[in-house]
Amino acid sequence: MSRSRRILSKFRDLFRNNRAEEELAREVASHLTLLADDFECRGMSPEEARLAAKRAYGGEEQAKQAHRDERSLLWIEQTVQDLRYALRMLAKSPGFAAVAILTLGLGIGANTAIFSVIDAVMFRSLPAEDPQRLVIFGWNAHHQPKLRGHSLHGDCDDNDDTRDCAFSVPFYETLRSRTNLFSGVTAFAGPFEVGFSGNGPANIARGEYVSGDFFSTVGAKTILGRPLGRADDAPAASPAIVLDYRYWQRAFGADPAAVGRAVRLNNVDAAIVGVAEPGFTSLTPGKSQDFFMPLSLAKRVQNERWGTEYSLSDPAIWWVVLAGRLQPGVSVEQAQAEATTLFHAEVLDAAKPIFSDGDQPVLRLLPAREALNGESSQIAAMLEVIMTAVGFVLLIACANVAGLILARSANRQKELAMRQALGAGRARIARQLLTESLVLATTGGALGILVAVWGVRALTKLISSGLDQAFPFVIAPDWRVLAFTGGVTLATGILCGLAPSFRSARADLTPSLRENVSSIPGGASQGGRRVRLGDALVVAQVALSVVVLVGAGLLVRTLHKLQTLDPGFDTHNVLLFGIHPSLAGYTDHQTVQLYRQLQERFEALPGVVSASYSEDALLSQSWSAEDVHLDDAPPKSNANTATLQVGLDFFRTMRIPVLAGRVFTPADFASAEATNAAMTVAEAAAASGNPAKAAHPKTEPQPASVPVLVNQAFARKYFPNQNPVGRHMGNKQEDEPATGPQPGYLIVGIAADTKYARLRRAILPTMFLPLVGNSAHFELRTAGDPTALVKQVRDIVAQADNNVPLFDVRTQTQQIEQTLYQERLMSRLSSFFAILALILACIGLYGLLSYEVARRTRELGIRTALGAQRRELMRLVVRRGLLLALAGAIIGIATAMAVTRLMAAMLYSVRPYDPATFAGVGILLVLVALAACSIPARRAMRIDPMVALRYE
Amino acid sequence: MHANILQGTLDLMILRTLATMGPQHAYGIANRLQQVSEDALNLNQGTIYPALVRLEQHGWTRASWGKTENNREAKYYAITKAGLKALDGETARWRQMSGMVEKLLAEE
Repeated sequence: MSRSRRILSKFRDLFRNNRAEEELAREVASHLTLLADDFECRGMSPEEARLAAKRAYGGEEQAKQAHRDERSLLWIEQTVQDLRYALRMLAKSPGFAAVAILTLGLGIGANTAIFSVIDAVMFRSLPAEDPQRLVIFGWNAHHQPKLRGHSLHGDCDDNDDTRDCAFSVPFYETLRSRTNLFSGVTAFAGPFEVGFSGNGPANIARGEYVSGDFFSTVGAKTILGRPLGRADDAPAASPAIVLDYRYWQRAFGADPAAVGRAVRLNNVDAAIVGVAEPGFTSLTPGKSQDFFMPLSLAKRVQNERWGTEYSLSDPAIWWVVLAGRLQPGVSVEQAQAEATTLFHAEVLDAAKPIFSDGDQPVLRLLPAREALNGESSQIAAMLEVIMTAVGFVLLIACANVAGLILARSANRQKELAMRQALGAGRARIARQLLTESLVLATTGGALGILVAVWGVRALTKLISSGLDQAFPFVIAPDWRVLAFTGGVTLATGILCGLAPSFRSARADLTPSLRENVSSIPGGASQGGRRVRLGDALVVAQVALSVVVLVGAGLLVRTLHKLQTLDPGFDTHNVLLFGIHPSLAGYTDHQTVQLYRQLQERFEALPGVVSASYSEDALLSQSWSAEDVHLDDAPPKSNANTATLQVGLDFFRTMRIPVLAGRVFTPADFASAEATNAAMTVAEAAAASGNPAKAAHPKTEPQPASVPVLVNQAFARKYFPNQNPVGRHMGNKQEDEPATGPQPGYLIVGIAADTKYARLRRAILPTMFLPLVGNSAHFELRTAGDPTALVKQVRDIVAQADNNVPLFDVRTQTQQIEQTLYQERLMSRLSSFFAILALILACIGLYGLLSYEVARRTRELGIRTALGAQRRELMRLVVRRGLLLALAGAIIGIATAMAVTRLMAAMLYSVRPYDPATFAGVGILLVLVALAACSIPARRAMRIDPMVALRYE
Repeated sequence: MHANILQGTLDLMILRTLATMGPQHAYGIANRLQQVSEDALNLNQGTIYPALVRLEQHGWTRASWGKTENNREAKYYAITKAGLKALDGETARWRQMSGMVEKLLAEE
């Protein structure tokens, strides 16, 4: 009690110094008076007595100063003493101190690091001004809208066809001109790949289309030049772009003279007018772009996706995301009601309605942060799993620190009882224990900060290492998180540190003081309770680590299954790269010529076995699909199939077996090209509203059917028990009668099944078509290391046309690794935490057993003296350790069975209760537990009975 | 022997004084110490102040203002329960210590 009271009185002094001074002066005066009275009694005159009193008293000021010094300095001195004592006690058991500090450091640091990453990715605040007033428009309906074009760029949740956040440009114009509830409404879309020249060699850059009021509505600023404005978005404005800060640094070397320079976007000359501020990345977390360009440029900068011609004017082409800033005082409901009226007028009452009444289309305004989840929604699930693992690790760390401190304090019961008997108050002992805990905590905390800083760096590196673009999140250690995790762990340490002082208050002192009590098992009832608590903590730790281990094991096995999966083609020694001739102004015909020419030159390269190209590389996550009409199917019922346009020799180059029929011949390409050209002409005629031509398709000669190969899945699904080779299929049939030519498809062969876009996805019915235009990815099958050919390949393309940029140069293996990025990251992170959890749990087990052995030294010594075999002693300790580990394992496995079901969606061909994983974890745990037991067990075995009996 | 007495020893002596004589003011304590030491401990009376503060901060003594027989006001110090306990401990320690020192000095 004395210490705390001293602290208290010290604080009182701090605040009531004047009063203390007054009191002191009064006391000194009274003292002098009493002295003087005495001297007077001995016969001195009052004056003499006063002087004598002063003499006897000594220096009055000196006494006062000593009083003051004592008041203020003493408690500091005492704290230093406490601290020194704490350090000495910790130094006495360096193992305990090291383990506790390490546990604290790892617990605090690892958790801070992972929470910082999660915070940056999931809870990041929008880089916009006053984001609460910024809303995103979204729609949902019972059925899919009837659209001519629809594209999304990963800004919001678009998992099904009946809701997303894409709208038409005309609807944006309506919103802008017909409401005044918003202080600004902006449309944006992208990023789109654009040929970017005028800054070194031609390359591909990713440009985001933004309407003129984007910067003002969002509140984004530029650090150089000016933002885009309404005037830049006028149809006749001279093209202007604003660079993204990171692109400006990367591609322009942060040269301030970049502003004002002229560049070429595909075939359009544009001027750089500004550079966005570094804090502005993208409204959607995880997305990034290289530059911003006015929406009106969409017509001129052709991105040959679909209908760029009409994308700005057709109300049935939905491709822009709309954001609005609410006027002050306007509620979301108000704005939503007004916008809904406009939306319904546009989609239900127009000449050609996009929705029918029964579809019940609904327009919703959502806070931007909620609606634009983009990348983070994909990473979120993953991070949640990691967060759970981390939470478990934090719990284990806490249990560990608790167990260690409890075990240690149990050992010190005698020391504490002795001190209490010598007159130390409970609070004084508590303060001493607290000082020790605080020394541990601050050291552990300091280590935790180091681990956190390093961990954030390592995690960022780990996460971004597999990405094909710059890591889009800005991550820094989060000090609030550090404070939180630190607080939780430290509170555990301090509470446990104080526990023995509560116990000693309750306990009778005498049994603790009796020498032998601590040495006789079960001799003290309080000992029994204490050990049981320690046991429970160790069992809990083991159980938690089993859960984390099982989770990690399942993820590791998923990755392994995916990595060793046979995708149906030879993935080794293939070089891939993309090429986009239409960005340099090529027509379809010219494109085909270029591809053919390049293919020949590549095949002539020494080291190249064969070369081909396709619309998308296999396993690149991109894919296309189309509806076809089977000839004997009822009208208007279409069959859906994945499609891939390929070049000559594709199947030979990728080593995909052709099981029946034949591969494509040059004649197939000529015929497909002719059909394609005829279709394009007919579509253009229909779109330009020339009914004369469109209304009489029968008068035109019908173009030849497109020759196609189908895969086995297609044959099985649509031609069960039949030979599809030689069969015809019609074009997709829609509600309205078809207008243009309907050439259909002719099946010429069956290819073996292969994975297409993703390894995880089941093999879909797929149709291979001859590639007659479009961008393409080349595939070069090489004899040796494919990367050795990159330079020659670049030279060949540059020779053919210097304006055609190469992009995404990688090998097929790298491509696959890239698609497995998330799985790899997950398995690495979870393994890391699982191992951490296992280590902590084993430290816990080791700590408990070591303490047990130390506590029972005397008993074990007696047993040895009485003739017990050393091996028996070892078995005694190991059996106890294994029992605890097994108990933990059983609880952990039961818990894991309940928990892993939740992560089923992340697994691939591994069941959530995969017996191999569970068994593996069990065996690993037993082995590690044995290792953890073996050190204390060996110590028990080596106990010398003589020393043991003298021990206490 | 002057003011240069071992720290802690003075505390012990004051506690002992308060335990045997009951509540005392600083002057009373100083007088008692002088008397017991038969004037050998000729310390300035002001030097006991730090010890008084220390004991009070430890919670071993409690101070309150009161009146002397001559109706003079004075601050009285009384020993607390914790103080009595501490006195026991300190006494034991002192005995042990002085016994040891005595033995050491006896061995010539």
